[in-house]
Amino acid sequence: MDQATSSFHLIDRIKNGDREALSLLFDRHRRRLAVLAHYRLGPHLRGLVEIDDILQETLLKAYVQFDQFTYRTPGSFLRWLARIMEHVVADTARYHGRQKRQAAEMVPLKSESTPEGVELVDSKTPSRLLAQDEALRSLLRELDELPDDYREVILLIKIEGLSTQEAAERMGKSRETIALLLHRAIKRFRQLQDSKEGV
Amino acid sequence: MNDYSSGPKPDAGANVPQAGLDREQVLANAVADFHDRRARGETIDAESFCRLYPGLEALRSQIDTLDRLEGLLEEPEPAAPDPAAEPLPEKLSGHKILSVIGSGGMGRVLLGQDEALGRPVAVKVLHPRFMNNSVLRTRFMQEARAMARLRHPNIVHIYNLGQPDEIPHFVMEYVQGASLTEAARALTLEQKVELMHKVVLAVDFLHQHQVVHRDLKPGNILVGPDLEPKILDFGLAHQADGGQRLTLAGEIMGTPDYFSPEQSRADPSLDARSDIFSLGIILYQLLTGTLPFRAEKLSDQMRSICEQDPVLPRRINTSIPGELQNVCLKALEKNPGDRYQTAREMADDLARYLAGEPVQASPTSYSRIMAGKIEQHLRDLEGWKQDHILSLYEYDSFRKLYDRLVDREDAWILEVRRLTLAQVTLYLGAWILVVGAMLIELFRYNHLSATTAVLLSAAAAVPTAWIGVRCWQQGHFRIAIAYLLAFCLLLPVVMLIAMDKWHLLAGFTLGDKDLEFFNLFSVAQSNENFRPTNTQLWWAFALSLPAYLWLRRFTKASVFSLAFAVMGALLALVTLLRMGAINWFPDHPGWFFLHLIPVALFFFLIAATIERRNHPADSRYCYPVAVLFTFLALTGVAGFHQPYQDWLRKNIPQTHGLIEYLFIINALVYLSLQSFSEHFGSPQMRSVAKVFRFVIPGHVLTSLLLLGLNASKEFGNGKNLDWRFEARFFEVLLPLAALLFVFGSIPKQMKNFFATGLLFLAIGITRLQQELFKNNAIWPVSLLITGLLLMYIAVNYTPVKLALTRRFRRSRPKE
Repeated sequence: MDQATSSFHLIDRIKNGDREALSLLFDRHRRRLAVLAHYRLGPHLRGLVEIDDILQETLLKAYVQFDQFTYRTPGSFLRWLARIMEHVVADTARYHGRQKRQAAEMVPLKSESTPEGVELVDSKTPSRLLAQDEALRSLLRELDELPDDYREVILLIKIEGLSTQEAAERMGKSRETIALLLHRAIKRFRQLQDSKEGV
Repeated sequence: MNDYSSGPKPDAGANVPQAGLDREQVLANAVADFHDRRARGETIDAESFCRLYPGLEALRSQIDTLDRLEGLLEEPEPAAPDPAAEPLPEKLSGHKILSVIGSGGMGRVLLGQDEALGRPVAVKVLHPRFMNNSVLRTRFMQEARAMARLRHPNIVHIYNLGQPDEIPHFVMEYVQGASLTEAARALTLEQKVELMHKVVLAVDFLHQHQVVHRDLKPGNILVGPDLEPKILDFGLAHQADGGQRLTLAGEIMGTPDYFSPEQSRADPSLDARSDIFSLGIILYQLLTGTLPFRAEKLSDQMRSICEQDPVLPRRINTSIPGELQNVCLKALEKNPGDRYQTAREMADDLARYLAGEPVQASPTSYSRIMAGKIEQHLRDLEGWKQDHILSLYEYDSFRKLYDRLVDREDAWILEVRRLTLAQVTLYLGAWILVVGAMLIELFRYNHLSATTAVLLSAAAAVPTAWIGVRCWQQGHFRIAIAYLLAFCLLLPVVMLIAMDKWHLLAGFTLGDKDLEFFNLFSVAQSNENFRPTNTQLWWAFALSLPAYLWLRRFTKASVFSLAFAVMGALLALVTLLRMGAINWFPDHPGWFFLHLIPVALFFFLIAATIERRNHPADSRYCYPVAVLFTFLALTGVAGFHQPYQDWLRKNIPQTHGLIEYLFIINALVYLSLQSFSEHFGSPQMRSVAKVFRFVIPGHVLTSLLLLGLNASKEFGNGKNLDWRFEARFFEVLLPLAALLFVFGSIPKQMKNFFATGLLFLAIGITRLQQELFKNNAIWPVSLLITGLLLMYIAVNYTPVKLALTRRFRRSRPKE
């Protein structure tokens, strides 16, 4: 319970106006949020927006809305941050949708539906945050190789820290199905890791 | 660990005995159960958990993988949690490090000694916590580079950047001073404003170099003993051109006390105007000593920044000049578009204050503050009107006044109306410009060819329009209005010159040169075909109208509706000219006035339609034109239209066809017009009704007086008894009618009924003395008695009325 209690302490500190505490608590979840942001942004936005900036805005919003947060379980802070980040991503998408619409109309971007489209130069360069974190980058590579629903269940369960029941509600599937998906996703993930180590 | 033995039995475990169940699902359920327990915060030992599922060998490796994943996502623990305990480096960039000055979110500031130059330096070092983070290191050095590019006396100066082999740091000027607020405490108001002026100029310098500071606060502005401020800490600086933010993930941006609304909303489109808001807060704090937006809870503070208007500085301290309050509120506008658009504008206003000139800021918050209070008051007024505490007229006039106060345009309109030396000169210039253009049209110049004249006038009009539109776009409304109004007047003149010189539409009205308006003035000059024709005049006005409409739409300033209405009126008059009005004047001037009646009706119709369409600011200018034409038409018809007089003489011979009767008929027409307008019910129609009502007593009483004088004269001439009766009749009628108006003032509070009535009553009484009571003192004596009696009754009005009503009640049952 060490982390839980210390998280709880940090939350107390934030409530007393200690700004550094929120930063510390946020830092503790930074990699999870970075992974989540990476996938929530999607391939197009990833080239336009820095993940670091998404995290920055998320932290700021968290700071502003902090008194709406109530501590329940050790995971509730992360889940709360994840929800805020989804709003930030949605806002950013809307902002860039407005900004870039014309450009996008003129030059079709490369995607599954338009393989002949232009590939964004930036979409290949990873975020600066990811650039210097080799472990995180390889984690993303492995997650990229997973089928979509395997990856989604890992995002919800392991990254956002939802319970299987919550994940089931979020994905609109039964808990049994989620359990099975999670099980297979983990199995595949292990195989991917093992094969890498083998090489 | 007893967590799961006391908890509910694991679901998957319960399913094990059911041999028919898919083995994989069982395993999956076990993994899910393990995760859910972790998610609930239970501490579970993997080994003992696996023992619960004896048949599932694969479970262990699954759980291990889960844990591995967990490990990948955990953030490595920060190396050194306490920065203060971190030992100081001996030397950085060759400077001896002496002590720590302070520490912020991103790093520490150390005091060093430049031994070569023998001066103290400040060395900013990246926080040890971020030392291993290459992204943050890069960003830290980017900040340093951004700062080093800028050289300004009021921005802290970077001496050099740390070498790559040292810990990330940069060396800057050591500023010995206090924070802006501390330093300002001992200063006079003037000194504070001078200080602020320097700060704002320095921020403008930053903006000029595409750097948005984003963390302006008194703590980041140090003031030395020479009262020179220095801006520091670019930790949040944002380079506007590259779009690259020099911020650190994991570090809160800015200081919430000095946040702009954009920052509080984390608006991605934040720009330099965000700094202006922060400057506004700093100025507010310098002036009042308090922060404009303060709340216990942070979210309340953010809301207050985004939504609340600050308490007016002058409410806190009445000695703060209103001009500075304006500057402050202008910088604190919620909408970036309403703020100063550049720091330079704000600096200019501060300079204006220091020079004793009026500042240009006109904060919208005033009208918002007023609008809030006034809305409340208007609701009260509405209630009072319904409770008959207020008359409809009082209500209307309050409303009109309040509407003008609330009107968002009002701030600069007031400015436009204020006659300062600059303003008067501006309009004078515009007027001389217009007059000059008109002279080109009205006179003949031998050395000026036709095309040159047209080009000359166009050279005056086109730049005027262009400057006007540009000024408007840049927000210099006061100047723009002068230019655009000048253009409004120049436009028809230029078109007239063009049509005249190039002989476009030069045909005479009805083919007759004598019907040309300008021909009236060109008797001396015998050159034919030189003056503009009525047709040209008509087209010049008609073609100008769309331009006014466009200007009205473009600027939303109702003054162009005024221009439109006036030009429309002129167009109507020229239309009459084109119908041959010149010919009517010598013989039948009444015709001209008769034709004005449909024009007046037309304008009424237009005004009412515009008002119905909810554009009261535009209809406001059509009504006066309509009313003016009505007066002109009816008066002219009564005064000059011979057939009208003949008709009167024929049908009512007693009137002898005297025009005074026609004026009384006019008064009746006004009476019906006023009741019609009032019935119409719109506020502006009600004021029109008031204008019509205003002229009634003058018309009626003057006519009666003139009729009486005429009858007396006729009687005096011929001793005709008919005339004698008429003279007596009018002598009595005049004071009676005057009395009627005096009392008629009561229902609608018409002060002019009252005043005119009193005046003509006096005249009537004098006339009676002259004619009826010649040399008889009974008349004045009875007047004295009547006057005293009336005053007595008025003083005891209530008891008298009560006594009378009782009398009536008592007498009635007997009947």
